[in-house]
Amino acid sequence: MPVNLENFRPAYEKWVADSLVDYQAGNMKEIVKKYPFVESTDIPWTPYSGVPSDQTFALITSGGLFLKDQQPPFDTKSIHGDLSFREIPRTVRQTDLDFAHAHYDHSLARQDFNIVFPVERFCELEGDGIVGKVAETHYSFSYVNDAARLVTEAVPELLDRIRAQGVDVLFMVPV
Amino acid sequence: MGLIQRMAEAAGIPTISMGNAADRMAYIKPPRALLVKFARGSMLGEPGNSQRQRRIIMDALSALQTMTEPGTIRELPYRWKRPDPS
Repeated sequence: MPVNLENFRPAYEKWVADSLVDYQAGNMKEIVKKYPFVESTDIPWTPYSGVPSDQTFALITSGGLFLKDQQPPFDTKSIHGDLSFREIPRTVRQTDLDFAHAHYDHSLARQDFNIVFPVERFCELEGDGIVGKVAETHYSFSYVNDAARLVTEAVPELLDRIRAQGVDVLFMVPV
Repeated sequence: MGLIQRMAEAAGIPTISMGNAADRMAYIKPPRALLVKFARGSMLGEPGNSQRQRRIIMDALSALQTMTEPGTIRELPYRWKRPDPS
């Protein structure tokens, strides 16, 4: 496991207990200050090889995007956040999308989702031969505070799906 | 997102991510990242500026091919200040 959860788990439980009242009152600044971010000393690394024009790219955003007519919104109420992710097709249009993420202003992304999920630009680069292939399916998360469950449950499932699509490189846009 | 990126790299998939807060990135330690000066929620700049979005992706492709040290963060020079909410 490239993420050390031993110290995180008890610190997170304490943070939830201490922060619930502030969270429910919307005092985000206070509780973010106290959040026990997972600390790491090492940095996992896969050397990049090859050229983009031969490779398949997929995007991951944490902008809370979902297909409003086909998928449920993310849970924006729980202090733990939402561990689930949504699959977004490369052909998505602005009118297909809505945003569920309580901690940023969506007004700009509602004008142009490419500022948090630039799949249209990637498809243009594919058309120009600069990237080899844009994957059929891309991935959207919202915010997650429960980092332990994220790395033990959601991310292994995500990586299985990414591998199944033959993705070579990930482009990742947090908000 | 930093944790997802770290797990992807550990699983053998190279990644490039973006960020807009150098202080947060210092403890998230993304394996490979671009740092921009744009506000939260507009990591690729202003809505509708396709050319800039494309340029940032080109910067990302360049970063993939040239970064050799784990934890490298490259700052991009582009500027745009989001208008105050009306």
